[in-house]
Amino acid sequence: MNVQTNANAMPDIAQVGERIQTEVQRAIQRSIKGVEYFASSGPALGSTPKDIIHSKGTMNLYHYRPLADEIYRIPILIVMATTNRGYILDMVPGQSFIEFLLKKGFDVYMLDWTAPRPEEKSLRMEDYVLGFIPDCIRRVQEDSGETDVNVIGYCFGGVLSLLYGSIFNDGPMKNLVCFTTPIDFRQMKLFQNFSDRRYFDVDKLVDSVGNVPPEMILSSFEMLRPASRAVGQIQLWENIWNDEFVKSYRMFDRWAQDTLPLAGEYFRTTTKDLMWDNKLFNGTMTVGGRPADISKITVPVLHAVAEHDHIVPYDAAKHLIAKIGSTDKTEIILKGGHVSLVAGANAIKRLWPKLDSWLSERST
Amino acid sequence: MSDKPNDPVQVWHTMLAEMEKGFNAMANQVMGSEQFSRVTHQLTGASVGAQKTVGDLMERYLVSMNLPSRAQMVSMGERLQSIESQLNEIRALLNRVHADVASQGSNGLAMPRPPRTKQPPSATGGGTP
Repeated sequence: MNVQTNANAMPDIAQVGERIQTEVQRAIQRSIKGVEYFASSGPALGSTPKDIIHSKGTMNLYHYRPLADEIYRIPILIVMATTNRGYILDMVPGQSFIEFLLKKGFDVYMLDWTAPRPEEKSLRMEDYVLGFIPDCIRRVQEDSGETDVNVIGYCFGGVLSLLYGSIFNDGPMKNLVCFTTPIDFRQMKLFQNFSDRRYFDVDKLVDSVGNVPPEMILSSFEMLRPASRAVGQIQLWENIWNDEFVKSYRMFDRWAQDTLPLAGEYFRTTTKDLMWDNKLFNGTMTVGGRPADISKITVPVLHAVAEHDHIVPYDAAKHLIAKIGSTDKTEIILKGGHVSLVAGANAIKRLWPKLDSWLSERST
Repeated sequence: MSDKPNDPVQVWHTMLAEMEKGFNAMANQVMGSEQFSRVTHQLTGASVGAQKTVGDLMERYLVSMNLPSRAQMVSMGERLQSIESQLNEIRALLNRVHADVASQGSNGLAMPRPPRTKQPPSATGGGTP
């Protein structure tokens, strides 16, 4: 027993030699690949073939070309978060959620956002919930020839989908899937502190800058884990010999840096109604004067949340299932973080098959 | 090999992960304080105020120099946006026409999109590709 312990504690000379050799090779590779890294662009993202069905200012509606010979009856509309670009769900072939859905026989549309222009600073919550989403639903119905539409909302896209579903609770949304969607904004502790109403003058900010700049949005996300960016750079340097690691790093880093500005009026409402007054949780939310209470939603709902989500902690998301009016409702908690839940190698194994299984049963 | 506790590389990785975790936790504690919120927003408020003052002065300067003001540029932007929207509509229309032409079979008849008849694996008694 003692002999074995000593053997583990003291690696033999051959092992040390092998380790040194590996590290030297990696150091050489780092130098070569490091030059390549700065001299080349990252992988092309969002390349699954699609058509732009409609475009209006900050809003874009895509239809992805089917990849199966036979598809489910009900089309899917994905509502992307307003802070980020939709290609997180369509990274590269083999790691694309969109491609996965298409190959499984789903007909997929996406409501994606571009940076709102200066004149779009006046876009309000009702423009998103009562304007953009219903407009896209109608166009999906026209394009697909189907009345029913399934909706998938990611992060704040989930909040918008819930608001839409609360108001248009008699259809045509047939099933609703939310990924990492916050309900109780009091539980987003640091965001609460960043937007503390005693010190944060949202009116002054919006009146001064119009649209809220992307640097401010990105900073607030990065401040949640201030050391992680620096550590990420160290890890990149260590693994720069590893093509797969570098490819993955570049994909996610590019997406994270591609944060969008937020329309000023929309940001004002988000801050006051959700961050300050927690109206979605309290059931007092209104959009354009219309009550938006999620207990009015009765369609089947799936909510996927991440165990280690630092942006939308579980405490902020867990009330969705409790408060929604549906009887057919499911919550799945998976390992991973806010982004790795939906994209990347782990999502392929964890979330995607579960979603396929849940949605396929309800898409005929 | 790298999973052995005496591997210096593994030790370095563990140390790095612990440092990251510790620093993040400490920073979160600081950022969660009322004082942090107050000071940050005082600074942001001052910065935004200065930005607005400079913007107003710049606008007056541009007008005096007979250069287009921001409002005029925004108006021009709106007109460009309208043109872009129309171009996108035309592009969507062309794409649709192109897709229709491309989907013409050899007999000249339009081929439909995939049929919406797919059933879940449970209904077909197993997995489907």
